[in-house]
Amino acid sequence: MIDGQVLAGRWRRLGATAVDAVLVPGLTVFLVMAFEVMEDPEDFTSAWWMWWVLVLAVASYLILNGHGLARRGQTLGKRLFGIAVVRAHTLEPAPFWKLVCVRALFFPLLFAVIYPPLIVLPLLDLLPILGKSRRCLHDRAAGTSVVRVTAMNRKDHE
Amino acid sequence: MTEKGRRRWRLELLAVGLLWGLMAPLPAHAQCDDRGSFGSVYAEAWGIDKRNTRYQPQSSLNSVNAERLALKWVYGLATETPRFYPLVTEDTIVIGDSGRGLVALDRESGCERWLFPHDGEIASAILHSRVKGRDLLIFNDRTAGVFAVDAGTGTALWHAKVSQEPLPWYSGSPVVVGNLVYVPVSSMEVALAVNPLYGCCVTSGGLAAFDLASGAALWYLPTIRQPAKQTGRHFLFVEKHGPSGASVWAAPAYDAERGQLYFGTGQNFSHPTTGTSDALFAVRAQSGEVAWVRQFTANDAYTAACNIAALNHPNCPDPMGPDVDFGAPVVLTRTLSGKPLLLAGQKSAEVHAVDPDSGERVWTRKLGRGGIIGGVHWGLAVNERQGLVFVPVSDKALLGFPSPGEPAPGLYALDTETGAVRWSYTRESRCSDRECVFGLSAAAVAANDIVVTGSMDGYLMVHQATSGALLWEHDAWREYSAVNGVSTRGGAFDAHGAMLADDLLMVTAGYRYVGQQRAGNAFLLFQVQPAHD
Repeated sequence: MIDGQVLAGRWRRLGATAVDAVLVPGLTVFLVMAFEVMEDPEDFTSAWWMWWVLVLAVASYLILNGHGLARRGQTLGKRLFGIAVVRAHTLEPAPFWKLVCVRALFFPLLFAVIYPPLIVLPLLDLLPILGKSRRCLHDRAAGTSVVRVTAMNRKDHE
Repeated sequence: MTEKGRRRWRLELLAVGLLWGLMAPLPAHAQCDDRGSFGSVYAEAWGIDKRNTRYQPQSSLNSVNAERLALKWVYGLATETPRFYPLVTEDTIVIGDSGRGLVALDRESGCERWLFPHDGEIASAILHSRVKGRDLLIFNDRTAGVFAVDAGTGTALWHAKVSQEPLPWYSGSPVVVGNLVYVPVSSMEVALAVNPLYGCCVTSGGLAAFDLASGAALWYLPTIRQPAKQTGRHFLFVEKHGPSGASVWAAPAYDAERGQLYFGTGQNFSHPTTGTSDALFAVRAQSGEVAWVRQFTANDAYTAACNIAALNHPNCPDPMGPDVDFGAPVVLTRTLSGKPLLLAGQKSAEVHAVDPDSGERVWTRKLGRGGIIGGVHWGLAVNERQGLVFVPVSDKALLGFPSPGEPAPGLYALDTETGAVRWSYTRESRCSDRECVFGLSAAAVAANDIVVTGSMDGYLMVHQATSGALLWEHDAWREYSAVNGVSTRGGAFDAHGAMLADDLLMVTAGYRYVGQQRAGNAFLLFQVQPAHD
């Protein structure tokens, strides 16, 4: 608990992540098919198709979660599990740009920038969740915490 | 000395040691003084000769001296799946070290004469030709096309590729005849189909002709003439297409008497299937006009997506075929009675003898169960004086792909006149490791009264040509000390197999491409040692 707020449980966070991890790639695959990004041999004559997949992945994330993040600090998964992202110290709703440009991109950036064998780094990102404040590295980078949405603080988020 | 002084002295010693370690030279990488010469070349094509007999007349290796073969030097390659076939001259061996480029090595010491830098995968025999007094070296980059390099200056002369196909693979070695370079063309689609969002498949295999001096494209013969059309959809959006496939995976054989080229094709990638897949082609060398086509397995449609059978992959054709390409080059030979014959080894573990004039089948011999990496995979060798064709059979099963029947891996010698089996050689796999199975995927090579093969479990073997008796073997499942200081280990023998020249035997050890055999980066050179009286 921080300043009267109940930190989100680890299992809830895992459940929310699992839901998002199915929905976002699912919509990405749908868009990749609909826009024929990797359907023809010509698509593979250069590496452009990879950039298109990345663009569609970001688009999928925003389509599914953009509104919820801006209004309530919640992805679909987090809404389903009754948790939300807030500023770590003030407990106000986190700014949208930080949620998307820092917090959400933290994982993909690790994969994109860092040499593949260093895949262990995302695990390091997750490790601090075991600490008292339950803040992963991406929480710390964005200055956020994940809390339970209760009747008391729901008003603040809506 | 005080305790503090001693500690400081130790720290200084450590610092000096570290500095010494950093400044110590890298492993010695011997450089030769001169560029070497191309006065005599020991092979004119992948097949040693342009008929693809893989018989080396310029070898002194025989059944008497084979036991005196000894490792002379080892060169450590940059790649662990080498796919080049070396070019040998009187003093130089040119190899294709994928990721580094063409490397010319001194025959005697293995020192590096020169390097033509090239980033891609050098995946063919390295050929030599002479144009206007210049020594040309020609090779394929598996994805980028055909390259010609001036061996004298080390400069690139031209780079050619096929414009008619969007995703060509240049897996088969080119062959140079007169002023033309003939290049077999396969397709990346066979592997791309693993992606379920890909709309399989639209490309065709083919044979391309380029001008030797300039690299200008002269003609292109697709093995499937009808354009691919949409045949259905999966996942709501993804359109399927066909016909496609019939890749040309290997070097064509040249028939100077008839002015023809012969090559085999692979399976179709999608339905509808065509009459040109798993077939032999005879083509007029000047024009690319088809003289005849003879299909040996009909309705064979397969892609790499079929290897994931459990997933019911949408890009695996339904019904799925056995994937029994002609992956090995066709051989033009003459029997002991003087009859001209084409010999073609198929991944079904069959060898077919065909009349080069008509394409009519003369005989067929089935030797094993076959499979997607053979059966006959990379190539046959022929000893025309003995009337024998040597057939390496892999019969390796691939995880996730049905392989019905009993495997019969080994080396077989067939009478070229009748197809009768004269002898065969097989043995147990040397271990139970998944990647360690006995089986002969690599092409064979013959000389005098011997035949040389390499097994997927890492043994290089010399057999007596008349009996199959094992005369000599070398276990390459080990570490080597390389002349260029690179950490080097051997592995499976696969792909193009060994090259022979004078008293030398050279071969790459290590290959993990199709079939996931044990990787390695060794280029081994053996020499027959003098006899002790």
